[in-house]
Amino acid sequence: MGEDPVLVVRDNAGQVRAFLNVCRHRGNRLCRAEAGNTATFTCAYHGWTYRNDGRLVGVPYLKEAYHNELDRERWGLASVAQLDNYKGLYFATFDPEAPTLREYLGEMTWYLDAFFDRREGGVEVIGGMHKWVMPCNWKFPAENFGGDAYHVPWSHLSAVKTAFSTGITTKPETTGSIVSPGNGHILICVGPNDVGDPPMPEILEYEKEIRPEVEKRLGPRSGRINPIVGTAFPNFSMLRATSRTFRVWHPRGPDNTEVWSWVFTDRTAPPHVKEAIRLAGIRGFSPSGTFEQDDMDNWQECTRTCRGVVSRRLAVNTQMGLGHERFDANLQAWASDFRMSESNHRQFYRRWAQLMTAESWAAVPRSNGWAGNGHTGHE
Amino acid sequence: MNEDVSREVEQFLYREARLLDKRRFREWLELLTEDVRYWMGSRSNRYPRSSKAIAILDPDRYVEDDLTQEGELAILEETKQTLSQRVARLDTGMAWAEDPPSRSRHLITNIEVEPGDAANEVKVYSNFMVYRSRAETEQDFYVGARRDLLRRVAGSWKIADRKIILDQNVLLAKNVSIFF
Repeated sequence: MGEDPVLVVRDNAGQVRAFLNVCRHRGNRLCRAEAGNTATFTCAYHGWTYRNDGRLVGVPYLKEAYHNELDRERWGLASVAQLDNYKGLYFATFDPEAPTLREYLGEMTWYLDAFFDRREGGVEVIGGMHKWVMPCNWKFPAENFGGDAYHVPWSHLSAVKTAFSTGITTKPETTGSIVSPGNGHILICVGPNDVGDPPMPEILEYEKEIRPEVEKRLGPRSGRINPIVGTAFPNFSMLRATSRTFRVWHPRGPDNTEVWSWVFTDRTAPPHVKEAIRLAGIRGFSPSGTFEQDDMDNWQECTRTCRGVVSRRLAVNTQMGLGHERFDANLQAWASDFRMSESNHRQFYRRWAQLMTAESWAAVPRSNGWAGNGHTGHE
Repeated sequence: MNEDVSREVEQFLYREARLLDKRRFREWLELLTEDVRYWMGSRSNRYPRSSKAIAILDPDRYVEDDLTQEGELAILEETKQTLSQRVARLDTGMAWAEDPPSRSRHLITNIEVEPGDAANEVKVYSNFMVYRSRAETEQDFYVGARRDLLRRVAGSWKIADRKIILDQNVLLAKNVSIFF
């Protein structure tokens, strides 16, 4: 989470927990593996041992060196302040004053459903993941996934021309809107009849087949809009067009981002569809991805120019569609009037600025869907 | 293995490396069989089963192997068709990650040649270090191993299967936009 290493475990009792992956004795990184199963974690430095529920259970020379004066109950692993999940997606915060996950997500929950709960049983992750370091600030990928329909017909035309995508956002007849359900959450949506799925015949056929079921499950909003890519504020992004991936943009200082990326499919999809989605993930959005590699190169150079004292002071232009967005009650979201707009860039950075300058959560302005936490009314 | 065959295979791999470094990708594609499988996996970070840092709950299900498994996410998993699409993409004049292009140098070492299952096939192990320089100061090192299945087709060696193992967990290069 951010730059802090976090260890997520399901303890022996079945409860999911998240701790700083930091030994309480000398601050050594406790667990060095990225996956596995274990009842305890033992620090490699002096051998302090913690159970998988975070309790400190083993301290070498406790009697002789500590004279039994160490209060082991006080020195268990440091837990996150809040941990909750929405449909199996776990989110945590170090801030006990932060709103609950449901309040924080607000109307974004419906949009998450449009990616992760389209069919009974939800989704599952294909085995393995992609991890790599992009030399760019984390906000570039976050804003891009949540609002940049404008770059596709130029940045990605090479991949569209060579059949790595249906190129839905490059077609003049495509409809849709740039949508923000509030709290900085942002999505790119196409129209309900626009097909942006990965271009394999197995997947296109499958999507056609399940569409009535999905529309019924997601309700009337899915007859108006089809979310294909988005960012849950600040750094969790998801994609359904071209590839099926979700990822976390971990900041690594201002100039680097470590990407952790997974590929997901509906749990009930047949094996040949899951296999096609796996391959689409490798070929479209991954370090070798025919879409992703061109993005990274641009974000790198956007970041590098920000090092210049004068370049940094230069205003960038995010006026596209300014004044042409409106609150759409049917979508429970701010929506642009054209399928390309920078309305979501403005939503994202306004939220970011609010959180960076507020003294406390109480001082953070509410936006649509955020009625809890002692506040009333809407922005 | 017959010395002549080993020598032929070495020369084949060096010539292939030269084509890649010269960006003669269409000629490189001709070195692949029509049914080629071209795969690149990465490594994960695991404790060995013997580690005293953990108390394994379910030894039967404990995965010690740190290499990407079949059916999981790989960095590349390509056919002749998709490799050809990738090469065609580079030729569009709009493949920005390779525009301006990478300058690559493929160093191929530790070549071992073993008999294959069929009379016209050999199994080949090799290590690689690929240096990539780009723009003014970008540079990356890709280091790993390859296991190839070469097949003699109409008198010429062709690559029928290539398994590339990249020895990194978190890939430190921003992309994989060149071939190995």
